[in-house]
Amino acid sequence: MANAPIERSRGLIPALWDRILSEEWRRSVLFAVLVFAIVFPILDKNEGDIDAAANAMAFAILALGLNIVVGFAGLLDLGYAAFFAIGAYTYGIFSSYQVQPVWHEWWGPFEVLGLVSHFHVDGVEPDHVHFQVSFWLMLPISAVVAALFGVLFGAPTLRLKGDYLAIVTLGFGEIVPIVARNTPTLTNGAAGLNGALPPYLPWYGNFGVLSTPFYYLGLALIVLLIFVSTRLKASRIGRAWMAIREDEIAAEAMGVNRTNLKLLAFAVGAGFAGMTGTFYVAKLQTATPEMFQFPVSVMLLVMIVLGGMGSVAGVVVGALLLQLLQSWFLQDLEQWVHRFGDLTGIGFLQTINIVQSIELIFGIILVVMMLYRRQGLIPERRAVTALTHAQQTAVPSRGGIKGEMAPLHHKPVDPSKPLLEIKGLAKAFGGIQAVRSLDLTVMPGQIVAVIGPNGSGKTTFFNLVTGLTEADAGSVKLAGEEVIGLGAHEIVDRGIARTFQNLRLFANMTLLENALVGTHTRTSTGALGAVFRPPSVRREEEQARRHALEILSIFGNRLLPRVMHLARTLSYANRRRLEIARALVTEPMVLLLDEPTAGMNPTETLELTDQIRGLRERGVTIVLIEHKLNVVNEIADKVIVLDHGEKIAEGTPAQVHSNKEVLRAYLGRTAAAPAAAAS
Amino acid sequence: MTVYLGFLRRYSLAIVVAIAAILLVGFGFLPDDFWQILPQQIINGVSLGAMYALLALGFTMVYGIIELINFAHFNVFMLGSFIALWVFQAMGMESQNVILYGLPLIGALVLALLVTMVLTGALGMAIERVALRPLRGISGTAPMITTIGLSYIIYNLVLLNVGADTKNYANPLPPAKWEIPPALLFGDQAEIRLREVLLWVVSLILMAGLHYFVRRTKLGKAMQATAQDQEAARMMGVDVDRVVQTAFFLGSALAGAAGMVFGLYYNYTSFIIGYSAGLKAFTAAVLGGIGNIPGAMVGGILIGLIQSIGGSIIDVRWTDVIIFSILVIVLVFRPVGLMGRAAPTKS
Amino acid sequence: MPISDGQQQPQRRPLLEFKDVDTYYGELHVLKGVNYVVGEGEIVCLLGGNASGKSTTMKTIFGIVRPQRGTVTYDGKEISNLPTAERVRRGIAPVPEARRLFPRMTVRENLEMGAYTRDDKAEIESDMDRIFELFPRVKERLMQFAGTLSGGEQQMVAMARALMARPRLLCMDEPSMGLSPAYVEQVFDIIQAINRNGTSIFMVEQNANMALSIANHGYVLQTGAVVLEGSAKSLRDNEMVQQAYLGEMKTS
Repeated sequence: MANAPIERSRGLIPALWDRILSEEWRRSVLFAVLVFAIVFPILDKNEGDIDAAANAMAFAILALGLNIVVGFAGLLDLGYAAFFAIGAYTYGIFSSYQVQPVWHEWWGPFEVLGLVSHFHVDGVEPDHVHFQVSFWLMLPISAVVAALFGVLFGAPTLRLKGDYLAIVTLGFGEIVPIVARNTPTLTNGAAGLNGALPPYLPWYGNFGVLSTPFYYLGLALIVLLIFVSTRLKASRIGRAWMAIREDEIAAEAMGVNRTNLKLLAFAVGAGFAGMTGTFYVAKLQTATPEMFQFPVSVMLLVMIVLGGMGSVAGVVVGALLLQLLQSWFLQDLEQWVHRFGDLTGIGFLQTINIVQSIELIFGIILVVMMLYRRQGLIPERRAVTALTHAQQTAVPSRGGIKGEMAPLHHKPVDPSKPLLEIKGLAKAFGGIQAVRSLDLTVMPGQIVAVIGPNGSGKTTFFNLVTGLTEADAGSVKLAGEEVIGLGAHEIVDRGIARTFQNLRLFANMTLLENALVGTHTRTSTGALGAVFRPPSVRREEEQARRHALEILSIFGNRLLPRVMHLARTLSYANRRRLEIARALVTEPMVLLLDEPTAGMNPTETLELTDQIRGLRERGVTIVLIEHKLNVVNEIADKVIVLDHGEKIAEGTPAQVHSNKEVLRAYLGRTAAAPAAAAS
Repeated sequence: MTVYLGFLRRYSLAIVVAIAAILLVGFGFLPDDFWQILPQQIINGVSLGAMYALLALGFTMVYGIIELINFAHFNVFMLGSFIALWVFQAMGMESQNVILYGLPLIGALVLALLVTMVLTGALGMAIERVALRPLRGISGTAPMITTIGLSYIIYNLVLLNVGADTKNYANPLPPAKWEIPPALLFGDQAEIRLREVLLWVVSLILMAGLHYFVRRTKLGKAMQATAQDQEAARMMGVDVDRVVQTAFFLGSALAGAAGMVFGLYYNYTSFIIGYSAGLKAFTAAVLGGIGNIPGAMVGGILIGLIQSIGGSIIDVRWTDVIIFSILVIVLVFRPVGLMGRAAPTKS
Repeated sequence: MPISDGQQQPQRRPLLEFKDVDTYYGELHVLKGVNYVVGEGEIVCLLGGNASGKSTTMKTIFGIVRPQRGTVTYDGKEISNLPTAERVRRGIAPVPEARRLFPRMTVRENLEMGAYTRDDKAEIESDMDRIFELFPRVKERLMQFAGTLSGGEQQMVAMARALMARPRLLCMDEPSMGLSPAYVEQVFDIIQAINRNGTSIFMVEQNANMALSIANHGYVLQTGAVVLEGSAKSLRDNEMVQQAYLGEMKTS
């Protein structure tokens, strides 16, 4: 609701910055960083530097993992270090001699597999088991264990506002170290777990305490994470996450199962943290509760916020900057300040301890970035270049729907049976009966208009049919199948899609992405498919894109030239069009339009009326809420009138208009009354 | 008081069942001396609870008005305990070297309390003005991340200034206590220390004051109205910025009072106390129904009791885990809290 | 486009005036150079569909959103940059869309909130008594939480609450919304009664027939621009208004 941000005058530097942020630049910068990272240990032979860099890498990996949760899905996880700890302890326990069960035959097969060893000391009874599970095996296992915890602790907050996730994860981050401290049998308590095995590679040997192999392993993990992140982001899964981040309800109404996708984000994020924990413990060969406390989570958050939430390149840069700040810049800065203090004789400057203040600086970075540059140094999204003059001034083409094109809905419809059958639908909010005992039958190919004064329950009616609001009573059958009781995303899947009167687009996604979210229920790519991108997934993505563009083309050159623009830059009328397109992309049998022409001028209204009629030609059945009676008269086969949640009339537009009850409720006093009142 | 009685009436059955269930389930696991030490644990629990309630009020007031979890609150509390310590030190007190009685004692305490509350209150207002107001109306995680940043700034500033070691608290309270004879109880004798009585009195006065302010004063009513419908309140001419400032001032001042109470009660303070206490207080606010002022008070007392009694059943080391489990359980089964009205769900 | 019914318009003394006002929400241009005049003692109604900019007009009057260009003057003085409280103090009071009562405060407390900008306690009490004459039902419900009232009762409380500010100009956003026909007529009767007592009224309404029947002057808003204005009678007779809002169209 804020006023329009005041555009700063764009000088040389912002233009330069735009260049720097362009896609090609990002790729080449990322590539250059990578090349440098590969040759770094060869150039810099200092073992200490390489070791520091390898440690730093663990945090860069964590930041990339956290970015999936915070940046992509918009879920603020403040206890990320806890999952790091879980991965660390999982590996630590199975690769050290901390837990030593008594030897039993049962362990035999595991010994053969090389997972445990039979520990025997002459004259000492009984024998014990020593765990020595391979690092490479534990890497995925720790990821899975951490992911399970992620799901376990994310689940309670799924129904609630995002704030609660923050507090629950903060609490989780607090208690995991406490549990580690309080269960010394497993973790050796506060003293820490010691003697975790380093990784072993057949052709290389044991990593031991060397830094270089860990450095390259860390680098490989970073590359893996960058790869996974970018692949996920540009996939069906990534789009669904972003949709949830932008508007959960709209995402759900477009067929995204937000519960599952949020859990997936937790699981993926936690899994990567678990994996990193394993890496970290293998490198340090120790794990203590102190290593995984809140400051770690904050540091990761700072990396993401500094670089740019949701921006993979940004997070890499953020992590790099923070590490440079910590290990190099602050020390130099401190010396400069001390010297400056000596020079000027200011005692405070002579003794100030800047390196110690690093966490203070973290706090300052968080606040400053949030106040002045929320999108981070390298934003996830950039404003797309404006349309050319020709495009801007082009005569709007009507687009329209070609009759010979395939039907838009995904299932064949029996034209002789009612498509939508609603009986006794009811809903009360507190004492107010918003919808009472509503019946409606819609035949395939019909256009049904719902009219009635504001507050008469029209939108609630839509919310009930689409499952966004739970009905108190009644049934809604789509092609004979009951949909009441299904989740909103399942109802979309069955074939009912909708638009919102108050417009719920995904503001920071492009038009094309908005439309692609609509394909969610008609596609099936999962997280793994998104990462590996087998031919089937490519095909599906290709088809989804073609379908989305085809639907967008219904609105002619209104939307097509802008497909790469962010939805928030659209005009009001175009937002309405995009909402309709997004709903159509879900291939609905029934399309519910909530005031599609609100905010449109007469020309635009006429254009849209034609297009709605065209949709019917392609087999979409339409129920629309509309205030403009001329639109209703123009296109509706049937009109129902709601007043106080009750259907007071039903029939053709002409029938409804001659109904006294309607005139009274909807149109106010009859023609005679105003004259009487005025006199 | 009607609110409290209404709560008891509405949930009396549930409360009785819950207590019975806990007792039945817990009976087998109870340590032998459980019943003997229970009265003492209740006294301790109510004391802790009063402190959590003071802290929970700040969370709940701010959340009620601008729907923001203010993570800075954690460390405003911590800073409050240091400010009170510095005030005592400025009065020439180091640990327990000076014991005061009568009016000088009350004077010293009131002075320390006032200075602490005014300073933390002012800090809360500054936080709102400088860092949160520019972000008002921005959805998503940005305002929360800002409060985390602020919290971290306070935390590290204190750490850099006082160091990481635990500080002995300056405490002018005489070690007086009253013993309750076993005849009046079902177990061992229990004792009520002066510091506990003092804690109860301070908390009661502050909470009664807050209640009066919210229910009876014009600004308090504006605060209620803003919490219920911000835009409508604005249209009535309520200066919403001022209301938010007031909520931050009061919440932070109460957090400061809770910080001083913490120091006097435990006889120490440290830069680290904010997170554990803050998390418990937040749980108290959620338990009572976030946004609900009487709920925060009830929730605080409950959390205090759970902590002290739970600690005596299981082990003190696990109390944080118990409280956290309660937070999760409440969020799953009754996210509106015991006394909440509006569900904090998104849709 | 101004239209007239051919009769001589009485001289209007402007109480509230919008001059070329442009308002934005983010990047969305909502009000596009609109001009309104509400004359002293008039009832002026603003017609328009959803999303045409009616509610934004209300928010602009109260300073909830600020115009980026243009001026809003009240009683001859520019108020574009005044805080909401000051506008209320000068005599502009709101009856917001969907009532927007404070649901968990009593009716009495709601009325007190209406007088928030006033400090004259005794007079507030006597005003309350006077207002009860207009709204006898409100008096019966005084100690009840506002959220427990029926829609019609809530509308009465909302109007009573606005009157507690002693307004010279009452701004009403869809006073008929969600009300049963009986209540709608009652509400409109009360609006006229309030107006007769000297309060000017600016009213956004979808119930065009009703609104025009009691108004002196009207504006038609479409996609953020005023497309039609004139006396209430001329608007009622206008074909376009009839088509779009009065439902008198000939269906063939």
